[in-house]
Amino acid sequence: MVARVCLTGFNASIKMGECDFPNVDNGPRQFCTTRNRHPASPPAMFNHSIPVMSLVVALHAAAGLHAAEGIAVTPAKIRFDDAYARRQVVVSVNGGEGALDITTKSRYRMVDSAIARVDVHGYVQPVAAGDTVLEITWEGQTVAVPVSVGSLDLDRPVHFGREIVPLLTRYGCNAGGCHGKASGQNGFKLSLFGFDQQFDYQALVLEGRGRRLFAATPERSLILAKGSGSVPHGGGRRFDPDSEAFRVIRRWVEQGAPREAADSPEVVALEIEPGDRILPLVGAQQLAVLVRYSDGTTRDVTREAQYNSNHERVAAVNSDGLVITSDESGEAAIMARYRGQVAVFRGIVRHGAVQSEIASFPIETEIDRLVADKWKKLGLAPSPLADDETFLRRVTVDLCGRIPTADEVRAFRADTGSSDKRARLIDRLLAAPDYATFFAMRWGTILRNSNLAGSTQAAYAFHNWLKDLIARNRPYDELVRGVVAASGEWQDAPAINWYWQMRDDQLHQVTADTAQVFLGIRLQCARCHHHPYERWGQDDYYGLAGFFTRLGRKSFGEPPPYFPAARVTTGEKNPLTGQTPEPKYLAGPAAQFTSEQDPRHALVDWMTRPDNPFFSRVLVNRLWGHFLGRGLVDQVDDMRATNPPSNPELLDYLARDFTEHKFDMQRTIRQIVLSRTYQLDSAPIDANRRDQQNYARFYARRLIAEVFHDAVDQATGSHTRFSGVASTARAIDLPHEGFGSYFLDTFDRPRRVTGCECERSSGATLGQVLLLANSDEVENKIADGNGLVAQLLKQTRPLAEMIDEIYLNALGRPPRPDELSKTTAYVAAQDKPQPALEDVLWTLINSKEFMFNH
Amino acid sequence: MLDLLGKIVQTCDGASRRNFLKVGTLAAGGATLADMLRLRAMAAEQGASLPRRAVIQLWLGGGPSHIDMYDLKPHAPAEFRGEFQEISTNVAGIRISEHLPLQAAIMDKLAVVRSGTHTNAGHGMGSQWMLTGYQPTIEVNDNIYPACGAVVSKVRGPNAPGLPAYVNLPRRLGLGNAAYLGASYNPFAPENDPNSDGFNVRNLKLPGRVSADRLGRRRGLLGDLDTIRRDIDSHGDLVGLDKFYRDAMEMITSDQAVRAFDIHREDPKLRDQYGRNDLGQCCLLARRLVEAGVTYVTIQAGGGWDTHGDNFAQLKNNLLPKYDRAVAALVSDLSARGLDQDVLVMTLGEFGRTPRINGGSGRDHWPGAMSVLYAGGGLKMGQMIGTTDARAEYPTSKPASPGCLLSTMYHTLGIDWHTAFYDQGRRPLPILNEGRPIDDLV
Repeated sequence: MVARVCLTGFNASIKMGECDFPNVDNGPRQFCTTRNRHPASPPAMFNHSIPVMSLVVALHAAAGLHAAEGIAVTPAKIRFDDAYARRQVVVSVNGGEGALDITTKSRYRMVDSAIARVDVHGYVQPVAAGDTVLEITWEGQTVAVPVSVGSLDLDRPVHFGREIVPLLTRYGCNAGGCHGKASGQNGFKLSLFGFDQQFDYQALVLEGRGRRLFAATPERSLILAKGSGSVPHGGGRRFDPDSEAFRVIRRWVEQGAPREAADSPEVVALEIEPGDRILPLVGAQQLAVLVRYSDGTTRDVTREAQYNSNHERVAAVNSDGLVITSDESGEAAIMARYRGQVAVFRGIVRHGAVQSEIASFPIETEIDRLVADKWKKLGLAPSPLADDETFLRRVTVDLCGRIPTADEVRAFRADTGSSDKRARLIDRLLAAPDYATFFAMRWGTILRNSNLAGSTQAAYAFHNWLKDLIARNRPYDELVRGVVAASGEWQDAPAINWYWQMRDDQLHQVTADTAQVFLGIRLQCARCHHHPYERWGQDDYYGLAGFFTRLGRKSFGEPPPYFPAARVTTGEKNPLTGQTPEPKYLAGPAAQFTSEQDPRHALVDWMTRPDNPFFSRVLVNRLWGHFLGRGLVDQVDDMRATNPPSNPELLDYLARDFTEHKFDMQRTIRQIVLSRTYQLDSAPIDANRRDQQNYARFYARRLIAEVFHDAVDQATGSHTRFSGVASTARAIDLPHEGFGSYFLDTFDRPRRVTGCECERSSGATLGQVLLLANSDEVENKIADGNGLVAQLLKQTRPLAEMIDEIYLNALGRPPRPDELSKTTAYVAAQDKPQPALEDVLWTLINSKEFMFNH
Repeated sequence: MLDLLGKIVQTCDGASRRNFLKVGTLAAGGATLADMLRLRAMAAEQGASLPRRAVIQLWLGGGPSHIDMYDLKPHAPAEFRGEFQEISTNVAGIRISEHLPLQAAIMDKLAVVRSGTHTNAGHGMGSQWMLTGYQPTIEVNDNIYPACGAVVSKVRGPNAPGLPAYVNLPRRLGLGNAAYLGASYNPFAPENDPNSDGFNVRNLKLPGRVSADRLGRRRGLLGDLDTIRRDIDSHGDLVGLDKFYRDAMEMITSDQAVRAFDIHREDPKLRDQYGRNDLGQCCLLARRLVEAGVTYVTIQAGGGWDTHGDNFAQLKNNLLPKYDRAVAALVSDLSARGLDQDVLVMTLGEFGRTPRINGGSGRDHWPGAMSVLYAGGGLKMGQMIGTTDARAEYPTSKPASPGCLLSTMYHTLGIDWHTAFYDQGRRPLPILNEGRPIDDLV
């Protein structure tokens, strides 16, 4: 099967950078007030000369390929009819489980090199008309591939779009860091990634006072002289004077730099050979990339396409489409990009042998079945089930944003008779006020619920509104409608604070946040240029923006009342039309509505339709990421064809189930935490040590700032007072980010300035360690006169019991025998019990087990 | 009203064709930490170990008045020129404000870009633009883009182990954070005023009840009990935390960091020279820190620069004397210690101030022109760069955008500002998206 991503609706005449650049009368546009301008070139891969590691895995044979002597070659025969045509061959051998690539291990010989040539990588190009044979040899076996070359018109005009623009892209000339950026570079500006061929032709041929091209002596053309580094070039030497790129550009210049014919076929699809594959550890896989044109012809663009891997630790890719695997198992999606089209190759490096059954993993839920199906394919086996104490702590943290109390631990341990104790625990926690409080905080963070700009009261109201919806388990679409279509005064519609917090750049921020938070689409790129990895163009961006162009707000109050206006309320224009953006559904038609209707309701209607491909998927993925530590699509709100889910069937199932059950968030949450997958131990076993994508063990992660803050309070038996809020309020109760706290700031409490979950960063800092290990603040909690240690000493309990209590409070479990003996010995060796017990508590708070949800 | 696009002639970006762009993987793509480490290791292998460079950045939050400091216009109409006189300096032909006499005496060790300029007159957005090189689209209370100190922290790390790479003095700067680079690159700050007698660094000194012996016992116990497996997460956070614990304990127990922050070890006479005030003592502390191995220090030079009212009295009685003394002492001290080639001092704010004096003898926000001072860092000193028009409203030559001003700084640290990092939207954003070092300086 050929991996293919078809991009429709791509408008080739988008002018890069126009949206963010006012014209300047005197001279080139050198200075910018632009917003979010950036070069968006993909991460560069390796250069051509990657050492190809030897294949160490046994070879297998597969059925179904054109085979001779066990060697299979794609294509089976090669035909050239154009002087500029090329073909990358892909060679494999067959095994029991699938094809194994040997393209880099084979030797190539063209029988008649006057007809065609081949290089050591199996890249073939025509020389003159005739027939010959390509011999491919591997381990003593040889196969013959017929090569026929039709009459070549060596003087045919070089196509600007087909031959020149791809070179500008391949050599980085139109990348965002160079001439593709909105301001250009040294007065020479190209469209980003060559999305606008007309613009580029204008820039190269007609501007620059004719210096860029010089037909009489082509070598003196700036594009060749600078590109090859023969005159100083800020970007250095991009290609050699004896390279094919140089020759093609020179030929084009010699020909008088012809335009692309107006009727030349358009690129319609990109395909990668081979289809998805199992790859060996420390191996290689050559890809061939073919482009299909609107006239039905195809062309090999393996060396003109650009590549990117979403998981380079597993599989990296170089600029010639050679995928290199490491000693790391897992899955990688390799994206090839060519002229606005993308295609994806998925490579799987197995963790172990394929299995038909997963031992010791009884399957009772659909989630577990789908997860286990994936493990079977990947050769993964799960870690054992987490013990009761670990599960109690994990699910209490994930559902309620706090660690369990010592009493809760004792009660859960004492319940030995019932088989459904975990299910009953989940029900109890979902019904608890802390569940709503915690999820209101999580939503409030990405919905920018801040007290800035006079919004203190509105922030409380918005927080309470979210908490109430969640506590009553109202359907998710109700939450979304309340936010996206909020209107009225903040007392009635507190979600208008979402709009108010984005007031400085409302149309664009609201458009971007709606796309990212509720649709899982990072659309920001498409404001100024076609998304480099996706199908979204400026028409999509401004189509979504169009739903927010008729939103009025009064001139009093903070936040002021918002209302749907009959007329347009923004001065922003769609740069493609020069007009106010008109509402259009993403990848869909224009929206129809009357002047009495609020177009935002039409948007929410569309979002919540059962067949909306985005709405449910991003929510279930977000929930999955919250509970399992990594989204099925990672990041949770970056869903695109070139960033595929690690388990598409599971994502589909969860989304379908969520839609079919009226967007019931608790139902999805309950299913996730009831699954055996969620309840696995976090300690890896040999069979899943390298798993980072398929949940064969629980991925431990740090407690987030607010939860951690409260955990320190709870473990020490102390309480932090925040000013301006109820004296009992914990960090997770705070409605907005404006409550001063060195602790919370040091642990990176989000400032609520983006709609991205990723505002929470997991990095550690010196300040955090100093605060925990060496501060008066934490020391005062540990030694609090009414704190845990002080209370225990007042109760004059035996030492072992006191240590038991400290462990239950901090870690949610009793000490193991070795821990008990070490700690009792430590305390016994000190003069006074109090400081010694404080030391034990200090130690637990500073332990990784305490800091992590594991 | 502040749109001055039509008036810009040409910024430093595009003015010349210096060979600055390193071709290779980093120029085009998103560099990971691993890339950085590899790069550093490569440089070390080739014997091209990066020089021990550092930057001390004075942040004049609020917006310093360029027309009263470095760009006086004695021939402008009275409603513009203000009441300060020019004085000559020890460089022939360069004249600056009479209230900067100590700097005038060492003008050969300073260079001022008079033609700094951008277009955003809001404190938050202007600050973010000048501190990050990116103009944000929205006024928020945290970094959307990483502050330059955080970038340096990520790319270069500390010059010596056991010290943080990036320090804010005396407190963390509101917009000095690392944004999408990750919290590990946020600044470290003492959160105390080094001018106070009891100055110490927050949480660096042992808490009152804890002796060194007791901390030692605790560490021993932690070593015994903190045994949870380090491979249970999937991001390497556990291992990372262990490293931060080791570093932090090193900071607490070794006297290297404690000494570096211990300003009381300085000769009282030198402390006097810097000025016995927060700015002066922060500058002195910054010198101690970069000597010890901190790579980037950002000093909050007070908050009084936003002189909407009573501009002249504020400047001459309060702001300028302190600032003049601190900068002159710092630059002279670095020079006396032979550090002037390695350490760059840079002073800037979010914008200049309106040349037209308002009704309250004040000046308002003005991003159209601003003066930025550089000293040392291997740059060419003793010059004024760029000119503004007769009222100091806009550059008339060599306009320097925030990217130009910051890339000059990155240049002194050997940092390729085309290096890109991924933001939250997985967009590869280069350290700077415009600008190149100012020709006359490098």
